[in-house]
Amino acid sequence: MMNIIIGQYVPGKSILHHMDPRSKLLAVFALIFIVFLANNWVTYGVIVILTLVAIVLSRVRLRFIYKGLKPILLVIIITFVLNAFFTKSGEAIFDYGWFHLTTGGLQQAAFISVRLLVIVIMTTLLTLTTTPIDITDGLENLLRPFKKLRFPVHEFALMMSIALRFIPTLMEETEKIMKAQTARGVEFSSGPLTQRIKAILPLLVPLFISAFKRAEDLAMAMEARGYRGDIGRTKLRLLKWGLKDSLLLLVVIVLIPVLVLLRG
Amino acid sequence: MRTTSLKKTVTIALLSAIAFLIMYIAFPLPLMPTFLTIDLSDIPAIIGAILFGPVAGIIIEALKNLLHYATTGGIPIGELANFVAGSVLIITGTFIYRRRETMRSLLIGLCLGTLIMAVLMSIANYFVIYPAYAIFMGFPVEQQIQLAQAANHSIHDLFSLIILAVLPFNIIKGILVTLISIPLWVRLRPRLLRNS
Repeated sequence: MMNIIIGQYVPGKSILHHMDPRSKLLAVFALIFIVFLANNWVTYGVIVILTLVAIVLSRVRLRFIYKGLKPILLVIIITFVLNAFFTKSGEAIFDYGWFHLTTGGLQQAAFISVRLLVIVIMTTLLTLTTTPIDITDGLENLLRPFKKLRFPVHEFALMMSIALRFIPTLMEETEKIMKAQTARGVEFSSGPLTQRIKAILPLLVPLFISAFKRAEDLAMAMEARGYRGDIGRTKLRLLKWGLKDSLLLLVVIVLIPVLVLLRG
Repeated sequence: MRTTSLKKTVTIALLSAIAFLIMYIAFPLPLMPTFLTIDLSDIPAIIGAILFGPVAGIIIEALKNLLHYATTGGIPIGELANFVAGSVLIITGTFIYRRRETMRSLLIGLCLGTLIMAVLMSIANYFVIYPAYAIFMGFPVEQQIQLAQAANHSIHDLFSLIILAVLPFNIIKGILVTLISIPLWVRLRPRLLRNS
């Protein structure tokens, strides 16, 4: 439980690292939907090549991408197996009892797994090449139009970055409390379900108390430094939209008619 | 608790961080399909809703699911379902609690919230969530039923899957959340009020 990588950001100097978070966010968001246009070998090929190009451009080591994939790998494998054995179309390759493996099923399984893989790799690349703070800044900027609808975009972004900042801190806190309570004889990882649920309470009470205390301190510190919401707030890191950002969006936009033309 | 709007904002952010951490320790129940995992991450949202009103609770649900999606990726159907379920529980719960502000009204509110949440989620599963999984993950409803059958043999169609798995799942989840939230609130309240 304690090895969650929150903000999987890997520092680097690649083109993807230097892009504006807004263009990356828009591109990934659009690609999640565009992937569904693919429905044959050619269109899936185009998308796979594009994903490989993105991986190469990011210059992130494959180990990190695999780490991002790990939580969803099992889902992809299950999806592959289910699709391969339950879709009955095309020629039979293998037929024994209720195991039917057909060419159609295999193709279907491959397509769906590739689709899932591409979506996950794209989102992983985004989080690998962009710091959580940059993502939040980019989101805040992109959602600006909603301010007109009285939606508190700035506050939302602020809460998101505070939460991101404090997840590791609270995780450490949890670990400390767990150790302290284990020393007092509370069992967290064994015993029947009812006992484990009872053990949650002595863990949660101190955790909440410390979170409330931290919130109070943080709010006071912010107020002491003159925080008044986003009115007149200046930024240390400004977002800069460059040529490569426009190019990325152009590639994504061109991809739509290409896939529509090539799909069967 | 004396609250400025900034303190409220920061507290909501920290409660979301706790909710996110709890969401990570999700565990499946026996006799249920594996994709239904019990997580108690609604607890911080309930505490937030009691302190600052239902909107704060819904914001915590939203932030928690956003953070969870940002770290796991994939297709956010599970996160969306979790958000809707949590929000329904919180809206019903705090609506009843806020009229009396007693432990009894909190208990009644959360129990009613659990029931409404379970029923609504069953309907949503039947008409939206299962079909959505079929479209996005590419395995049709029939295969999901076969998968669920492996866990429980009396499941034979979508309706029985929902009655035997989704409905009890949400009720158990709601009861667990209620059973932990109330004693937690009892212990937190004196400390939070003393600081005022």
